Amino acid sequence: MALNSNQSLRKTRSVPQRHFNQRQLAGLWFILPAALSLLVIVAYPLLYGFYISLFRTNLLTRWDFRWFQNYIRIFTSADFLQTVFTTLKFTVGAVAGQFVVGLSLALLLNTKVPGRALFRTILIVPWLFPEVVVALLWKWMYNPLYGLFNDILLILNVISEPTSWLGSTATALPSVILTVIWKGYPLVMLLMLAGLQAISQEQYESAEIDGASWWQSFLYITLPNLRNVIMITLILNTVWWFKHFGIVWVLTQGGPINATSVISIDIYKTAFEAFRFGRAAALAVIVFFIVFLISFLYQRFLGGDE
Amino acid sequence: MTRQQRQRLHTSVVFMILLIASTFVIVPVLWMFSTSVKTMEEMFSLPIKWIPETISWDAYQRIWTDYPFGRYILNSFIVVSGATLISLFVSSLAGYGASRFRFLGRTAFLTFLLITQMFPSIMLLIPYFQLMKTFGLINTYAGLIFAYISFTIPLASWLMLGYFNSIPKELDDAASIDGASRWRIFWQIVMPLALPGLAATAVYAFIVGWNEYIFALVLTTDDKMKTIPIGIGELIGQYRIAWNDMMAVSLVVSVPLTILFLFLQRFLVSSLTAGAVKQ
Amino acid sequence: MAIKSVLVNLSLSILLITSFASTTAQTVLRVMSSTIVESPEGDVEQAIADAFMAANPDIEIEFIGTPMNDMFQVLTTSAIGGELPDIFTNTAEFSAQAQDLGIAADLNDLFDEDFLAGFYPTAIEEGTVNGELIFLPWFTVPVGVLYRADWFEEAGLAGPQTWDEFVGAAQALTQDTNNDGQNDRWGFAMVGTKNGSGFFRFTHLLRSQGAWELYKDADGNWQSDLGSEGMVNALAIYKELHDAGLVPPGVTETGYGEAVSLMASDKTAMMVTGPHTIGAILAQNPDLEGQIHSVPVPLGVDRSASLGVGGFSVAATSDNKEAAARYLEFLVSTENMLEWNRVTGRMPAQIEAGEQPQISGPVYAGFVEAIQISKPMPQAAFYTQIQEVMGEAYQAVLVGGVSPADAAAEAGVRAAAIIADAE
Repeated sequence: MALNSNQSLRKTRSVPQRHFNQRQLAGLWFILPAALSLLVIVAYPLLYGFYISLFRTNLLTRWDFRWFQNYIRIFTSADFLQTVFTTLKFTVGAVAGQFVVGLSLALLLNTKVPGRALFRTILIVPWLFPEVVVALLWKWMYNPLYGLFNDILLILNVISEPTSWLGSTATALPSVILTVIWKGYPLVMLLMLAGLQAISQEQYESAEIDGASWWQSFLYITLPNLRNVIMITLILNTVWWFKHFGIVWVLTQGGPINATSVISIDIYKTAFEAFRFGRAAALAVIVFFIVFLISFLYQRFLGGDE
Repeated sequence: MTRQQRQRLHTSVVFMILLIASTFVIVPVLWMFSTSVKTMEEMFSLPIKWIPETISWDAYQRIWTDYPFGRYILNSFIVVSGATLISLFVSSLAGYGASRFRFLGRTAFLTFLLITQMFPSIMLLIPYFQLMKTFGLINTYAGLIFAYISFTIPLASWLMLGYFNSIPKELDDAASIDGASRWRIFWQIVMPLALPGLAATAVYAFIVGWNEYIFALVLTTDDKMKTIPIGIGELIGQYRIAWNDMMAVSLVVSVPLTILFLFLQRFLVSSLTAGAVKQ
Repeated sequence: MAIKSVLVNLSLSILLITSFASTTAQTVLRVMSSTIVESPEGDVEQAIADAFMAANPDIEIEFIGTPMNDMFQVLTTSAIGGELPDIFTNTAEFSAQAQDLGIAADLNDLFDEDFLAGFYPTAIEEGTVNGELIFLPWFTVPVGVLYRADWFEEAGLAGPQTWDEFVGAAQALTQDTNNDGQNDRWGFAMVGTKNGSGFFRFTHLLRSQGAWELYKDADGNWQSDLGSEGMVNALAIYKELHDAGLVPPGVTETGYGEAVSLMASDKTAMMVTGPHTIGAILAQNPDLEGQIHSVPVPLGVDRSASLGVGGFSVAATSDNKEAAARYLEFLVSTENMLEWNRVTGRMPAQIEAGEQPQISGPVYAGFVEAIQISKPMPQAAFYTQIQEVMGEAYQAVLVGGVSPADAAAEAGVRAAAIIADAE
């Protein structure tokens, strides 16, 4: 009996301790494959980027170590600020547009509307096309002579003569952003829809009994419940679209003049047209820190436990 | 207006808006189709024709005879399935670990997942190429799979973390008291419950990989190893853009995905329900 | 003992098998080509390679098709990764870069002088950087003006000899053919995109105005005329053509491919381009056979023409340089050059092939003339940056509301900065 109680006493005392260590270790074991494989694949390329940003190099015949000269030159050039500003406009337009469209459609699809399974499938379709296809399709639709866009707008009397949407400095960036929204909203919609369906119906019912309006329910029930999924979506989308290259490249190659010259296009041209890999890498490192800062700010202001 | 009438009005307004939103998707897709069956002449005739006068299915024939799209589809399928399977396995482990345990480095790990996505991919091309070459993986399925999991694992892990968070932890504790090992709890008790979430993550990883262009462009030089987006990219020659062929291919390769989604979607949406939102 | 002899036998036979394998093993030549993915170019190129393989069973040609748009990105990445193919497409624009990157072998070491003497001297000159022959010329695409002879004849016009005549012809041929109140035919298919195709065409207008985008002065220093009066005049001509509505809408969206489609679909009367475009136009619209004639780039204060040489380099790192040389020598035969010309419209780089009757008549008249007066492209590794400045300048004038004088001034300053930075 004494022995027994002693044993059980020891057990209760030691269990939390052992349990804690085990939990620590077990957690590490579970994340190990992901952490290791990413380290193997991503660590070298990342470090390599930081490393070559300190050189003036074409990576083959020229390797001149220049400390931070690339960074100094970038920060003192007026073009750079212009590019960052264009990139920010592009990112804000793309992320906000996809967010508004995605969330609105998710809200609508979350109601008991007939045919919603069909709507859901149709509305997901843009996400299924490769970027290069989306870009070319829209380029073809924007075409001032053969494009669908002008044709529809002419029929609707919105415009009186064919317009070159991608060829005017005023409309090029909005046109590119529209394309990107079309391509990117379905993912946001899916994630939001999932989030919405997880909110228990009871919360809404009791709010309705209390006489809350739709807007109040949205503000005080829907949004707070979606906070985490919204934050993840915003961070990931910002990270992706800030450094986006493909669609803009196919649509405008940064033109006309430099109206859509986002920073990735600058990096591409610096690296693969001018072969100044050091400077291109420095630009990439700067993008890395800007994106890092933005996601930090999101976490700061939107909160969230992760 | 009675409550029922109000409800009916509400529903029809929602229906109308969804209908309008759908036309923004359907019209471009129909335009793709219309372009794909046009002859060169009609494609460049003014005013433009919404419905071609002569319907030509030649483009749908050419994509199999003039270009090796059969092979490209096979390549894409192998590479993307491989990358999806690996990232599913690795990310469910990671998601479960980060969901169930509080350990040193957990936050660092979650941040690291995001950090891997922050460097512009254009500047990753050269080091990736060097890495793949060192391991003899240029022009291999394995090389592309490795490149693809570098961007599928991070988001897949975050998604799986959300799904696991939504499965009550009491289940684990109960099993733990019954003496089940950590691995058994994960594999036999929690994992079956997370299957719908796993399916959603799979669709995500699959589509992202299916659409990837720039890594496939650089890491495959052999014609026999190219993927669908590369094949489509080659239709945009320097000298002409084969609009009809390109539209035909794009539609053909998107059909399987759409059908897949059509079948999976009910399952998906209710499964996404389980996860994504961490309470 | 027995075991030992078995081992000896085994190792001997392994040795035999491997050495046997290596003697019969074929040399695989990897050829990275941008034309192999094009149609109809690819078919001809493949047929030539097949003929070569039939004649040389010990060599196998393996093509790596890469679209021109992605060419130099893939090439550079492979070079840095140490995976260059044995042979790769090269052009006059890229030869200085290739030399700077050290990726191309000096072909003077692979081919003898007599063989190289068979090419147009300017073609060899274009391929030569710092005394090294970077690529073997395979074809030339001299630049001139392609025009619709039928429409010109109808309007009582002759092929434009000066820029004034050019603008006048564009004016006369910009029409509303179906009388719906909107023009559906334009005088000039201007390529206004900010890429190589756009830069290249504007360069010829610029040079005809007596200004050079980049050249070495008497002291051997790089100079640029992008801020000069000639640049202002060139920009003014573009602006006039655009503002008067003589080019189809969306000029900054009109790349080379779009311009070819405009010509092929009876939408435009003239295009500044090379003979390869004839093949591209006829491939889309065979009815135009014989209707497309050529004249040299119109006269400003100066004649402007370039050879537009394209060809193949042998990688500096290749282990199969001899085999590569054999293939290239086979490729550039007179017979192959003529076949290449017949199908693709590109002109031969060899004098003997260029003198055949196939390369004559009104279709080629302008280009044959252009070859005589062509001047080489500048060979500086930073040339693409200068081109970029030029592109921004003409786009600023076309759609940015900037005056030619202001755009030229800005371009001059930026070009000078690039030159200073490079030195």
